[in-house]
Amino acid sequence: MANPSSPAGAASPAKDTSPPASAITTFFQRPAPLYVSSALLRLTFLLYGLWQDAYSPVKYTDIDYLVFTDAARFVSRGGSPYDRETYRYTPILAWLLLPTAQATGYAFLDAALFSFGKVLFAAADLIAGWLLERVLARSMPEPAARKYAAIWLLNPMVATISTRGSSEGLLGVLVAALLSAVLARRVTLAALLLGFSVHFKIYPFIYAPAIVWWMDREAMGSSRKQPPKGEKAPSQTSWISRAVGFVTAERLQLGILSLATFTALNLIMYAIYGFPFLTHTYLHHVTRIDHRHNFSPYNTQLYLASAVSANAIALDPSSSSFVPSSLRIESTAFLPQLLLSCVLIPLAAAKRDLPATMLAQTFAFVTFNKVCTSQYFLWYLILLPLYLPRSSFLRQPKLGLTALALWVLAQALWLQQGYELEFLGRSVFLPGLWGASLVFFGVNCWLLGVIITDAGSGVKG
Amino acid sequence: MRERITYIQKLGDGLDPSTVRVDAGAIRAPDVHAVREDRLTLTLDELPEELRTLLGDTQDLHIRWVSTDAYETVSPLLARLPPGLHVFFTPGDGNGSVASGRLCSVLGEAFRDIACTTLEESFTPLPRDRFSHAAAYQYFQQLDSLQGFIGHAKDRLCGRADKACAARLDGLSRAASLDISYESQEGVLRVTALWPYQRQPIDASSRPGVRTEVGILSADKPKTLEPHELGVAGLLTVLGQDPKPSATMFSFAARHRDAESTFSARFLAPTGLHPTLQLRISSAALPAEAEHGGQECSPYAYLTLPRTIFADKYQLSDPLFLASKNLAALRHTTQPVDLEAPEYAVSSWGSAILLELAPPSSPSSRSSEWTAEVPLHLRYLAPSSGGYSTVSVPYPAVFWACQPLQDDELTPGPFEKKALGYDGLFEDGTVFWHVAPQPAGAGGQGLLSQVRVPVLDVDRAGWVGAGTGLAVAAGFAFVAWKLAGVLFGKKEEVGEKKTQ
Repeated sequence: MANPSSPAGAASPAKDTSPPASAITTFFQRPAPLYVSSALLRLTFLLYGLWQDAYSPVKYTDIDYLVFTDAARFVSRGGSPYDRETYRYTPILAWLLLPTAQATGYAFLDAALFSFGKVLFAAADLIAGWLLERVLARSMPEPAARKYAAIWLLNPMVATISTRGSSEGLLGVLVAALLSAVLARRVTLAALLLGFSVHFKIYPFIYAPAIVWWMDREAMGSSRKQPPKGEKAPSQTSWISRAVGFVTAERLQLGILSLATFTALNLIMYAIYGFPFLTHTYLHHVTRIDHRHNFSPYNTQLYLASAVSANAIALDPSSSSFVPSSLRIESTAFLPQLLLSCVLIPLAAAKRDLPATMLAQTFAFVTFNKVCTSQYFLWYLILLPLYLPRSSFLRQPKLGLTALALWVLAQALWLQQGYELEFLGRSVFLPGLWGASLVFFGVNCWLLGVIITDAGSGVKG
Repeated sequence: MRERITYIQKLGDGLDPSTVRVDAGAIRAPDVHAVREDRLTLTLDELPEELRTLLGDTQDLHIRWVSTDAYETVSPLLARLPPGLHVFFTPGDGNGSVASGRLCSVLGEAFRDIACTTLEESFTPLPRDRFSHAAAYQYFQQLDSLQGFIGHAKDRLCGRADKACAARLDGLSRAASLDISYESQEGVLRVTALWPYQRQPIDASSRPGVRTEVGILSADKPKTLEPHELGVAGLLTVLGQDPKPSATMFSFAARHRDAESTFSARFLAPTGLHPTLQLRISSAALPAEAEHGGQECSPYAYLTLPRTIFADKYQLSDPLFLASKNLAALRHTTQPVDLEAPEYAVSSWGSAILLELAPPSSPSSRSSEWTAEVPLHLRYLAPSSGGYSTVSVPYPAVFWACQPLQDDELTPGPFEKKALGYDGLFEDGTVFWHVAPQPAGAGGQGLLSQVRVPVLDVDRAGWVGAGTGLAVAAGFAFVAWKLAGVLFGKKEEVGEKKTQ
C-alpha cells in the first residue's frame, strides 16, 4: 500500500516530480482548484477548437464528431442514425447528441448547440475523474487521491480527445462508475452499468469475469454475512460444494441483471432501427477487413490475408516466397486475446487488486487486438491512476521512466513509418511498419508483465 | 442503314466547290484541315440477334469511348468526356431484366477486357429524382484502345474478302471518340466516330443499300446568328444521287461550345495515400457570348474515378476547406462510396463526382492561369511484387456550365450529344463551355494522371504469417509466464488458487 505522505509520484509521470511542495500541496488540498482547472483546461481547448474550425481549413473537430452529429440530425428528422455512413455506434449516442441537431438561426447559438456533444464528453471526463478520486480515497487521504486523479483530469491528451468530440470519454466515465459501484458493493448499479457499457462499446464485457471472480463471500461479506449451506469454510470442502459455493446471490444478481440490461437495450434498439442497428453496431466488427495500417501486430498479416481471400493475389504453390499454411493465424487471434483478458488475468489477480486487474485486462485486450489505434489507449488510461499508487513504476522511478520512454519511443517509431507510408507514399509495409508494430507489441507485453506482477502482489482492497 | 460523313473546318476555311469531284457513288476533294465525324444509323432489324434482344428491353443505352490521346476538335463537335469507356444505361419499361442480365456480357464481347460482371455489382445507380433526363445506371472503365472492338466488329460485320470494310474499321484505331447510342423513342442505333482536327483527304464512297450523305462544312458566323446559336455553311452531297454538291447554310442552338481555354491535371508530390489532383486552367475568362443576357456561368470538373481512388464527400462539405482548394462545392457524387474498403473488396466500377470550381474573383486575374485542387484518397490495393502499383486517373471533363435563359430555344442540332453523365445533373438547356484538356508534360501518358501506390511487397511477405504468429506466441508466453508467477509463485498471500 502506498504511503500517502510519500513524496514519490506526486503527479503524472509526464510531469516534473519535484516542484516546490507547498504549491502542489495547496493545489490538491481542496477539490475546487483541481476541478476548476480541469474544467478551464477543457473550456480553453473547446474555444480554441471553435476558433480553429472557423478560420482554418484544417479542422480541430474529430471526423467522428461529424458522424455523430450527422446521425443526430437524421434522428431529429425522424430517420435512423444508420442513415449516416460509418455510424457504428449505439443509437443512444445519437440521441444524446440531439441538441446538436437544433438550428435556431442565430449563428452564435447554433455554434454553441453544435458543441453540446463536446461539452457532454468533457463533463463526462470530469465525472470520471471525480469517480477516480472517490475510488482512490478508499485507501488514501483525499489530497493524495486528487493527485492521482489529476493524471486523468489534467491530462492534455484526455482533454483534447473529448473536446475534439470523440466519444471515448463516455466509456471512461462508464468504466470508472462500474468499478466504483462494484467496490461499493452496489450490485444492482454495477450490473446496470456493465450491461449498458457492453451495449455501448462491447469491450467492457471483459470486466465481467474479473468482477464476478472478485465478488466472493469474503469481498461481499461486509454487506451480507449469510453462511453457505455447508458450515465449513470453502477451502476445506469438496469440488462440488465449492462449485455450488461459487454461485452466490450477488453473482447471480450481477450476471442476470447485466445480461438482461444488455439484451433489453439491444431488443429496444432492434425494435426501433431493425437490422441496420445489428449490422453497424455489432456485425460490422465481425466482417470488417481491418487492412488500413494501425498499431496491431496482426495488421500486415490481415492485409495479406484479406487480399488472398478476395482472390486479389494469386497463390502460386510453386513459389517458395509464399506459405499458404501460415495465412490463417489472424483467424485465431481472439484466442490469446480472450484467454488473457477474460480468463487468466481475472483468475490470477482479480481477488487481490480489482482496479489493477481491470487495467491489465484492458491492456491485454488492446495489445492483442486485431485493430489498435491510439483512441484505444484511452480505454486503459482511465484505469491507470488507480493502479499507479501501488505500481512498481512509481516505486522504482527508473523502471517507470524506462517504461514510459519505451512506450513513447515504440509509438514514435511506428508513427514515423506510418508517416512515410501515408504521406510520402513509400512502401514501408515490410519490414518497417510490420517490425515497428511488433516492437510496440513487445514493449506492451513487457509492460503488461509488470502490471500483472504488481496486480498479483496486491493486497485485497 | 444510313450513313452521314461530315468534315468540319474552322471559321473562314472554306473549300472551293469546283475542286470537289462527285462520280459513281464516290466523292473526292483535295486535303482539308478538318474534323471528321462518321455516323451510321441502323434500325433494330439490321442488328445482330444478341444486340436486338438487348435493345428490345432497353429504354436508353449510350456507350461512349474516348481516346486517352489529347485531340483537337472544332465547334460544334465539342462535347467532351474523361478518356475511357463510359456506359449509361436505362432499362426498359418492362422490368429490364433481360437487358440488365445481358449488358455486361455484350459489352465484354464487343470491347474485350471489360471488368463488368453484372449490372447490380458493377454499375452505379444515378439519381433519377434530380432531373428526369438522366440515365439510370453508369459504368466506366479505362480502355486505352479500340483494338478489341475493331477485331470483334470485323469478325461480325465484314465479309471474308471485304477489304474496304476491314480498312474502314481499322480507321477506328485513329479515332478520338466512338459513341454507340440507342434511344427506344427513336428506335434506331447510332454509331458515331470522331477523328480529331487534322489535315486529311476528303474521300468517301457509298455502299450498296446504304444511303450516304457527305457534308463538307465550316463554322460560320452570319449576321443573323443569335448568341446561343452556332452556324455552319458548306456543301452537302448524297452519294449516288446528287450529281454535284449543293451549297448549304444553317444555324442551331448548341449545348456544347468552346471555352477557348485549356487545362492540365497532375498529382502533387508527394502523393502518399491521399493524393491531390491539381487542375491547372489557362484562363478564368469566358467568351463574350457565354454570358449574354446575364446568364450565370460556373466552372466545373466532372471526374470518373476508378475504384482504386475516391473523393470523401464529407471532407468536401466544409466551405473553408473547399475554398482553400479553390473549390466551391461538391455537386454530385455516386452513392454509396465506401470510405474504408480495400480496392479488392469493392465490386462497383468506381465513382463519378461533379465539383464546382471557384475561379479567381478579381477581374484583373481572370485571364491568367489558375489552379484548383481535388483531394482524393487511395484505397489499399492488392499486394504485388516490388511493393508498388500504379493507378491511372483519367483527366476530368472541365467545363463552364451556363444556366439556360427562358427565351433561348434549344432544339437539338444535328450534332447534338446527350447523356454524357454530367449533363443529366444540370437543368435541361444548360450550355456547356468546354475547356480543352492538354497533357501535363512529357510523361507520354496522354490524358491520364498516374500515381504510384505503395502496396505490400509479396516477395517479402513469405515470413509475415509465421513471423506474426511467432511474435504473438512469444508475447503470450511471456505474459503467461508472469501470470504463472502470480498464480503459483506467492503462497504467502491469501492463497486463492494453489490447486493443480
